[in-house]
Amino acid sequence: MGELYLEERLEFLRHSQNADGGWGYFPGKGSWFEPTAYAMLALHGTPDSQGRLDRAWKLLRSWQTPDGSWRPCGQVQGGTWVTAQAVTLACVRGVDDDSVHTSVDWLLRVVGAEHSLGMRAASHLHLLKTKLDVSHEGWPWRDGNAAWIEPTSHTLVALKKFRSNYRRPEKNYRIGEGEALLFGRRCSDGGWNCGNPNVLNFDLPSYPETTALALLGLQGRSQQELASPLAVARRLRLDTKSSLAKAWLSIALRCHNENLKQPESSPVSNDVMLTALEALGHPDGNFALLRTGANA
Amino acid sequence: MTRRKFLPLAGIAATAGYASLKLQKPPRLADGPPGTSPVAILRAGSYSEDLVSRMMEGARLCGLDARGKRVLLKPNLVEFSSSTVINTDASVTAAAVELFHRLGAAEVRIGEGPGHRRDTLDLADDAKYRAIVPKFETIFTDLNRDDVSPVKGFANEPEFYFPNTVLGADLIVSLAKMKTHHWAGVTLAMKNFFGLVPGAVYGWPKNKLHYIGIPESVFELNRTFRNTFAIVDGVVGMEGNGPIQGTPKAAGVLVMGRDLVAVDSTCCRIMGIDPEKVNYLGLAAKLGHVHAERIEQRGEAIASVRTNFALIDEFSDLRLA
Repeated sequence: MGELYLEERLEFLRHSQNADGGWGYFPGKGSWFEPTAYAMLALHGTPDSQGRLDRAWKLLRSWQTPDGSWRPCGQVQGGTWVTAQAVTLACVRGVDDDSVHTSVDWLLRVVGAEHSLGMRAASHLHLLKTKLDVSHEGWPWRDGNAAWIEPTSHTLVALKKFRSNYRRPEKNYRIGEGEALLFGRRCSDGGWNCGNPNVLNFDLPSYPETTALALLGLQGRSQQELASPLAVARRLRLDTKSSLAKAWLSIALRCHNENLKQPESSPVSNDVMLTALEALGHPDGNFALLRTGANA
Repeated sequence: MTRRKFLPLAGIAATAGYASLKLQKPPRLADGPPGTSPVAILRAGSYSEDLVSRMMEGARLCGLDARGKRVLLKPNLVEFSSSTVINTDASVTAAAVELFHRLGAAEVRIGEGPGHRRDTLDLADDAKYRAIVPKFETIFTDLNRDDVSPVKGFANEPEFYFPNTVLGADLIVSLAKMKTHHWAGVTLAMKNFFGLVPGAVYGWPKNKLHYIGIPESVFELNRTFRNTFAIVDGVVGMEGNGPIQGTPKAAGVLVMGRDLVAVDSTCCRIMGIDPEKVNYLGLAAKLGHVHAERIEQRGEAIASVRTNFALIDEFSDLRLA
């Protein structure tokens, strides 16, 4: 049963690859970086996948911009948060060349705009509508915007996996800052939403999907620090009916060495990214590719 | 001067935007385009009433012609909470699908790109769209993850990207919810277009819009997309700390019209809010009609349906005299 669950999803991914080598968010749609990245991770190391993964990587590399960032699809100019996923993919594929280093340079240069002097002053004077610690440097969806949980988490995974001979001291500093930002933006219920735990003195609830991503970004932190959010993630995984949230939570919890039951049989979705994440989060799936610690 | 006027955080609906000082006196609102704009107010006391007939009457009062058009319905799907009314009710969306089929539209699709949540279909499921809107999944597009094309001239950006489903529509119908909003004062037909912006390009939330400025983004979206119509779900709206954490407020109306500025201004007056004090309507007065004397109120009179929506302290100065 469990093998069928995984194999059905991998087969769907094999059949939904576009002629240009990438994957769309849905079969027959144009290729985007994000579903392509997750499909590549899900298919990594599976039989007869090398050729299709090489074609996908070739397409993605064509989307790297001169400044080192990566575009989210062929139609969009300018790099975004998918640059972090590009670095993670490069690590998984064992690519460690100058172009990847320029991507890491870009990630280390980009800082959430709310960390500006003006915003820190406004925060100090309690002039913001949000109770937000803006003292830490996280990552935005796009350069020039504020930092959020999801892009910060993706970048933490990328930087932690990128171990090579890259020795700029900022890397460890930014990892520490990104982790501090995540801890500082936890919701009062113990998880994370997109990055705004309180507005106008009202606490906002966490979301299961961003809680999962934050836990991926925080791999390597102490058990004591993560015990509470991991408990929240376990509860959210049981409570949520969102397949996407369940898949992300499964990946995150497995990366934290949680022993989860096999997923129940369910039809394969028409959603490429969801299907890839479900395959990744299966006990025999490639979730470990997103590990960043000693067991990565 | 209120703290809201002094420090309009450009968004960060978020986390943090830039605090900008706005010390100058607000300019007199523009008169808008020549002529007047019809806006229909239809009573609808509950979602179990015959909403299609109400909407047919509203379409007639507004002179709406949808024959042969590819229509995109854009509901307001934000988050779900069983304790309040955040989203455009599924019954309203289902009735609008039927309305445009009856009006002879060539195609009727539903599209939305929620600003916070990744799993749009799960959100639609929670909001009972799959249960109530016939064939929902076959006519729905997640605008956050649709293929995109560039548009030039949006908010001084060299290129701004929109979903192809949006760009291919002949008529975009804002199926908005009548709500207060803790950053913008109100969220109605015009701000509902934030959901046209693709998350796959701009993120969750679409923080780029906050940095452009919420009023400015509302203006730009409505300047860019001109073939539009609005149906605002005010059967049960939201007051107080909207758009997510407010409390239900029954206004018992549907508000419809082709001029979204006039529709939003009318909704404001129904809610007991002065539209001339709402920042984004001040900007949008170039696009449509804010001034009451330039809006032809059809159907119910505002005075007969007005019900003051509670306002948070920061927006207490918006109250209509």
